[in-house]
Amino acid sequence: MNPYVTLIIILVGLYGLISSTNIIKSVFMATMIESGVILLFLNLGTWNGGVIPITSDVSLAIVDPIPQALMITTIVIGSTVTSLALIISIKIFHHHGSIEWKDLKR
Amino acid sequence: MIRRIIGLSLLIGLFFFMVEAMNEFGVLYNDEARLYFQTNGFLETGSLNLVTGIYLDYRLLDTLFEAGILLVAVSGVSWIAQHDHIEHNPLFMLDRFKIPELFVSIARVLYPIVLLFGIYVVFNGHLAPGGGFQGGSILATALLILYYIDLNKKTNLTRIFFIEKVLYLLLLLISSLSFFTRGFLFTNVVSPDMGVAWQSVFLITLNVLIGAKVALGLTAIFIAFLKEGR
Repeated sequence: MNPYVTLIIILVGLYGLISSTNIIKSVFMATMIESGVILLFLNLGTWNGGVIPITSDVSLAIVDPIPQALMITTIVIGSTVTSLALIISIKIFHHHGSIEWKDLKR
Repeated sequence: MIRRIIGLSLLIGLFFFMVEAMNEFGVLYNDEARLYFQTNGFLETGSLNLVTGIYLDYRLLDTLFEAGILLVAVSGVSWIAQHDHIEHNPLFMLDRFKIPELFVSIARVLYPIVLLFGIYVVFNGHLAPGGGFQGGSILATALLILYYIDLNKKTNLTRIFFIEKVLYLLLLLISSLSFFTRGFLFTNVVSPDMGVAWQSVFLITLNVLIGAKVALGLTAIFIAFLKEGR
């Protein structure tokens, strides 16, 4: 995938995050930014091309394994953050009866 | 309207700024770390999969805190959800009109295959694409399929939390054993002189522990959401 497409994904997520009126949509947009960041890092690792980093052959050009190892951490932490945000939004709905941001200001 | 136009133009400006920054990246990037991992990674960690070699040997401390964050998030979700500790299968899953019979039949066929595939991914994490986190997610998916098959299922959450805590303590214990054998904390217990076969025992052990922990954690999060969805 073209790395510039990942920038578009991140920016669309950012626009959705600042313009969404709903808590669930905000959580989804944060997840979308996270997916864009993951794709961007994986793209930066394959900047010069190469084969998958599962080899002991020194002569082959492999892709950079460091961004991939970092992105495993990001995926797990992103899923935990998303689950916490969703369960808090469910509790907000039970307490206030609404998940619109403007209803919570009162 | 005007506010939206200003926001969009700011975002487009940010896009071109990021494109400019990425064009410079090709100049800034150096692949010394990649070359180091390629020449020494297999000999030092015993893992053919270099990504597994990084997150189970060079950066094991990161992985421990990552597993800890998962534990904290699971306890946070279950504390916020505040459910009773023996959880029955929720009522909306008993509704035969909402779950098609075809889905249940196919799920019965798929359940052992998904379970076996998850175990394969966990055990071959150092030789093939995969590892503890990915295989654990697949195993959690298999356990969620079980919820649809067995409609009278009960889950003892207290036992799940207990097993998860014990697994995390075991993970900490096994990864700090290398202080006594090699003199460094948080690296492979077996030194590279003893050969790749003995080193992969350590990698498989850690992958199995992480896989079980991730599977149980994701299942606990799912059960907390089921309780809220009633």
